[in-house]
Amino acid sequence: MYLFGNLIYITILLINAIAILSEDRFLARINLSPSSYDPTFGQSADASVKAKIIEIIASVRTLMRIPLIVINTLIIVYELVLG
Amino acid sequence: MQRPTTYGHSPPPLHHPVPQHVSTVPQLRSPPPPISQVHPQGYDGSSPYSQPQPHQARAGPSGNMFGQYGNFMNDPAAQIATQFGQTAFRHSQEYIEQNVNRYVNVPALKRYFEVSNSYVVNKLFLVLFPWRHKPWSRKHTVGPAGQEGWYLPPREDVNSPDMYIPVMSLVTYIFLQTLIAGLRGQFQPELFGYIATTAVLTVAVEILGLKLGCYLLSISNASQLLDLVAYSGYKFVGVIATIGVAEIANAGKGTGGWVGWTVFLYTFLANSLFLMRSLKYVLLPETNSHNQGPMQTMQTGDTRARRSQRTQFLFFYSYVVQLFFMWILSRP
Repeated sequence: MYLFGNLIYITILLINAIAILSEDRFLARINLSPSSYDPTFGQSADASVKAKIIEIIASVRTLMRIPLIVINTLIIVYELVLG
Repeated sequence: MQRPTTYGHSPPPLHHPVPQHVSTVPQLRSPPPPISQVHPQGYDGSSPYSQPQPHQARAGPSGNMFGQYGNFMNDPAAQIATQFGQTAFRHSQEYIEQNVNRYVNVPALKRYFEVSNSYVVNKLFLVLFPWRHKPWSRKHTVGPAGQEGWYLPPREDVNSPDMYIPVMSLVTYIFLQTLIAGLRGQFQPELFGYIATTAVLTVAVEILGLKLGCYLLSISNASQLLDLVAYSGYKFVGVIATIGVAEIANAGKGTGGWVGWTVFLYTFLANSLFLMRSLKYVLLPETNSHNQGPMQTMQTGDTRARRSQRTQFLFFYSYVVQLFFMWILSRP
């Protein structure tokens, strides 16, 4: 049970880390942002590994922003109330 | 003998209560159909001495029971009730079937449990000793005059993954861990849930990692999720062997010492080789044979570097990841 709770915390923290990164200051510097990504237009799948990583980071950021707000609020309340 | 002379008179009325629907079978057989064909007049022709005794004996215990049963079934209210019960049961079954079929693909799941005894024995031997096995590819069947090409069920193909062995070994693993904990005096009832959660989470995390790796490397496998779950569940066989042998040899000290780690290393290597050989057909593309096979990786990006990337990923998954998870599972 200790393992399970810790696992949830670890995943939430990692997803938070992915969502927090500043796009133009950090991701563009290391060429991981969607703006610096210019393959041919019809190559959505079967692109290189780097393109896949860029795509996954972008999709996690856009999709998980709002649920992360909710989950973070819940965890904060839980930690404050129940120690 | 004197019957025919006195046959003219009407027989004396029977003193014992005669049930309405008694039948002629002896009382030791299973209950007859409730409708009986015997009239009380049928008994008049038999002898009086044999008449009351067996009739009484028959009509006593069994006749009352049949009488009650017959009365019950012929009651129209009871018939309506049974009809209602049958339709209600049928409706509830359909409801359950619909809802379960939406989440769990039951017919596909059933295919994984079509195993035979010889298959189980051969597969267990294969998981623990895969070095001599020759053809690792799964067998296809062709549809009638069409290129269906679906895989044979586990009963006819040793290389086909099944869910019977992983499920059974998972349950055995849980019981074995709790048994060993009990032998050490550390048993508590929450241990069942804790070990079960650990094992299921291990499989889930492993499958997640595998899916992530497949996405990153553009391996679009048409083989189902349950295949990967089955392949991931075969490591429980090795873990059970490790824990069992270590417990017997170490007499309660767990997987410490030489014997435990030797068995662990052996089963880990066997499991990894088994996985590499089996997953080669799932994860790595086949270059020469049919392109519309189970691995549909596009030809344009299929360079040598990509193939070596995939091979490295398969190696990493089969050896390093499995080592980590098997170590987690064999901790006391």
